[in-house]
Amino acid sequence: MLSSHLIDLVLALGMVVLALQVVSERAVLRSIILFVVFGLVMALAWTRLKAPDLALAEAAIGAGVTGALMMMAWRRLLIINPREPADTPRGRSRVAIPVALLAAALVATIGLSALFIDPPTDTAGRIALDEMVDTGLGNPVTGVLLLFRNLDTLLEMAVLLIALLGARAISKPAHPNEAAVVETGTPLVGALLAILVPLSILISTHLLLAGTNEPGGAFQAGAVLAAGGVALVLTARLQPGDRPGVIAQVAVTAGLVAFIGIGVGVMAFGETLLVLPDTWAVYVIETAMMVSIGLTLVLLFAGAPALVGRRT
Amino acid sequence: MTAVIFVLAASVVFGIGVWGLLIAEHLLRKLLALNVMSSSVFIIMLVVAGGGGNGPDPVAQALILTGIVIAVAATAFALALMISIYRETGRASITGKDDDDR
Repeated sequence: MLSSHLIDLVLALGMVVLALQVVSERAVLRSIILFVVFGLVMALAWTRLKAPDLALAEAAIGAGVTGALMMMAWRRLLIINPREPADTPRGRSRVAIPVALLAAALVATIGLSALFIDPPTDTAGRIALDEMVDTGLGNPVTGVLLLFRNLDTLLEMAVLLIALLGARAISKPAHPNEAAVVETGTPLVGALLAILVPLSILISTHLLLAGTNEPGGAFQAGAVLAAGGVALVLTARLQPGDRPGVIAQVAVTAGLVAFIGIGVGVMAFGETLLVLPDTWAVYVIETAMMVSIGLTLVLLFAGAPALVGRRT
Repeated sequence: MTAVIFVLAASVVFGIGVWGLLIAEHLLRKLLALNVMSSSVFIIMLVVAGGGGNGPDPVAQALILTGIVIAVAATAFALALMISIYRETGRASITGKDDDDR
């Protein structure tokens, strides 16, 4: 019992120290790298809190995709102006420390007092767990996401699409140099991709299929799929394009279209809006969502409206 | 005990995030601080939601999963905004000093 609390203490201390380093480190790139490490420690904390779905999501999305996006943005800044000093001066704010202390005290008060009140017995989570038996799904988180509160998930897909459209609307055509290219003449790059890309497809498919009964699901799967795409962009196998093709447009909107299509389609059979008919609908929607999430994240990473294969 | 440890740690992390947000000039740093803050909020949400014997509340987990994905979408959009600002002004900060220099 004592040793498990020791692990908690180490993780908690690690979170605090890493967070402190992320915000106080002088070099921005080091801050980003430390943030990725922070995300991975967070993933361990989620496993300690018995939330493996969140651990997977944190490792793949919180640490992985966010870190990659940040590093890519930092690289763009350096390409636009190579003379930009790597260490930017930090601003001074006299109120920063008192405000931070007050904020921490406020959050601790809210958190601790919520912890020590009697937990309500008739929560939505309890009802969801009771209803899970009838659904044929083994993972209650997937059940909540796809069946019980699927309007949230539908709108979440809409937010992803809007973020992509927004980023596309405000970004100018990319500087030619900004297409991320590493040395592609090395034969090792091809060999690495030959392992990484199929592996990302394999793992994402597993996460998707396992997600109905075990930890995993469309979001984690989409992020892992995006990791394969990011590897292809980094090695210039996929290059930023100007105009998205039909396939890309269909893929980016597939999750939303499948979700709305099935969710509204059930009304023709006298069902209520968004009441999914059976497990197959969950699989169809999750697969479409995985493809959409993966491609959306890769497009956000590449900062381009479309991706084209390398012209040889 | 686990819950108390994580609530306290997450509160400190939240405070650190607020501090980082206030002292950072570079927009990328501000985004990092915001992401640190959101992580701590997710931890508190999960711990406070409690749950039965089979792990934490599934509704809370689903909400946090949604939150993680929304956070990355918002971060990606904010980074695109930052790059646009940088192209326009040559700076990746939006402090008042910019106006004084002109």
